[in-house]
Amino acid sequence: MLAKRIQPMAFQARRLYVELMFQVMGRALQAVSEIDATVQKEARALPEGFLFEMMVMPDGPRLIVEHIGNGRFHYHSGSAPRPVDLSIQFKHIAHAFLVLSFQEKTAVAFANDRMLVDGDISYAIRMTRILNRLESFILPRLVAKRAVKEYPANLHLPEKLLSAARIYLKVASNFVDTVRT
Amino acid sequence: MTNQYYEFFCPVKVIAGKAALEHIPYELTGLGAKRPMIVTDKGVRAAGLLDPVIAACEESGLDIISIYDDVPPDSSTGVVKEIAGIYRREKCDSLIAVGGGSAIDTAKAVNILVSEGGDNIAEYSGAGIIKHPLKPFLVVPTTAGTGSEVTSVAVITDTAKSVKLPFTSSFLLPNAAVIDPRMTLTLPPHITAATAMDAMTHATEAFTCMAKNPLSDAYATAAIKKISTSLLKVMDNPKDSDNRLELAQASTMAGIAFSNSMVGLVHALGHATGAICHLPHGMCMSLYLPYVLEYNLETIRAPLGELLLYLEGPEVYATTPASRRAEASISALRKLRDELFKRCKLPRTLKETGSVEEHQLDTIAEMAMDDGSMMFNPKEVTLEDARAVLKRAWA
Repeated sequence: MLAKRIQPMAFQARRLYVELMFQVMGRALQAVSEIDATVQKEARALPEGFLFEMMVMPDGPRLIVEHIGNGRFHYHSGSAPRPVDLSIQFKHIAHAFLVLSFQEKTAVAFANDRMLVDGDISYAIRMTRILNRLESFILPRLVAKRAVKEYPANLHLPEKLLSAARIYLKVASNFVDTVRT
Repeated sequence: MTNQYYEFFCPVKVIAGKAALEHIPYELTGLGAKRPMIVTDKGVRAAGLLDPVIAACEESGLDIISIYDDVPPDSSTGVVKEIAGIYRREKCDSLIAVGGGSAIDTAKAVNILVSEGGDNIAEYSGAGIIKHPLKPFLVVPTTAGTGSEVTSVAVITDTAKSVKLPFTSSFLLPNAAVIDPRMTLTLPPHITAATAMDAMTHATEAFTCMAKNPLSDAYATAAIKKISTSLLKVMDNPKDSDNRLELAQASTMAGIAFSNSMVGLVHALGHATGAICHLPHGMCMSLYLPYVLEYNLETIRAPLGELLLYLEGPEVYATTPASRRAEASISALRKLRDELFKRCKLPRTLKETGSVEEHQLDTIAEMAMDDGSMMFNPKEVTLEDARAVLKRAWA
């Protein structure tokens, strides 16, 4: 009986967590593209104005970023200004939760058919590399190891801490800006 | 409880063995089709491979209404449109693809146009665009390697935009794959070897990459056993129809395995090499397979070691210490490649192909990094890693 009452709350909490994580990741993608040369190099191969979306099917939470040129991303907090070029779609909120709570690596989620790619697969591979790089920066090493296929051997603590601090600072100021506007 | 999860799907009826072609009329009639069109290429027709197909149908009173035999090695949107036009003009109601990967992919694309309507196949490019079952469709493979008869993907070149268009839908799968040993009996030795190694790579990567699952494992190991047992016998005696059938079945089984568990770095490098240096796909697979397995070794030690049983048989497996089985599997594949090199000069290194320049390796590595197969490789691959594998494969 108690479980039945708690279940809707758990579902609601899971949805809120996924929504929040998408908001953090979207802003963090923008931030990492402003400070990391490797991410900028990867992103430069994307066309200018390229819109990337990660969402939960059929019409669940989503994050949308745009490549605004020179390897920089811009996070769109609302809806996409035009049809997106690449969409990575989780089949269910439960699958998004598994990935965003670092219980399942992104690559494993792909392998397990938890999500679909709508758009150019080579861009999806590139965006996954960027997401992996971001997660390696912003997550503690032990957590990051659960999120990415392989934690980068050449990412040392000073670089990680400095980059993470700069990314979190930018994410926080972006949140504040959003609230103000 | 682990997070293990998998999906497995293969609704294709497999019709395999002696006189399999003679089942085509029954299968088509069962699907309500009376006016089939054959899609094939000039090589298949010149080799006389259409004759038994046509004879099998006519003997049962089923007339082949139209034959399109001009599918190029890299099929294009223009060719698809042309064939769809003939199909409509002749009021055909079903398709039979007879050939290798290109003919099969072309027929899959034609089936989209004639079922969904329109003239521009590019409009249907992507995943999940097709929502309805298509026209009755049978596939008769004439090579034993691609596994296209059991994959839900087709790739067609858009010549105007110089891009390859992928089409993915379970509705692309044929109603039946007809595997008859007569269709591969005249395959030249180097194509037999390259296509069999293509199937070997499909099975090996299916068994060792990230999306492996118990069902695809069963198909992959069975395919590897068949290829290991039959390939050299066929190379020594090309008219050995029993072993030809074993290879053809192995190809289909490997196709079922990899279409459900995907492939990895061998394919990523192979796709890039094929695009840049225009080398046949099977040759690239054979060439890269041991080098990639060595690269992935520590991540795939357990499954690769298990493959020794299917590559070398129970005696060798039992006498090899468990800690050496993975290396022994790679050695077995190298030994097989050496035997194929002796028999038909199937290249083992990029240098031996004579078609790759050393300065192209960087471009190949960069292109491979964006290949979809990279996602499923068990070990994370950096650009430097890809370059290192290519260097080892150079000579």
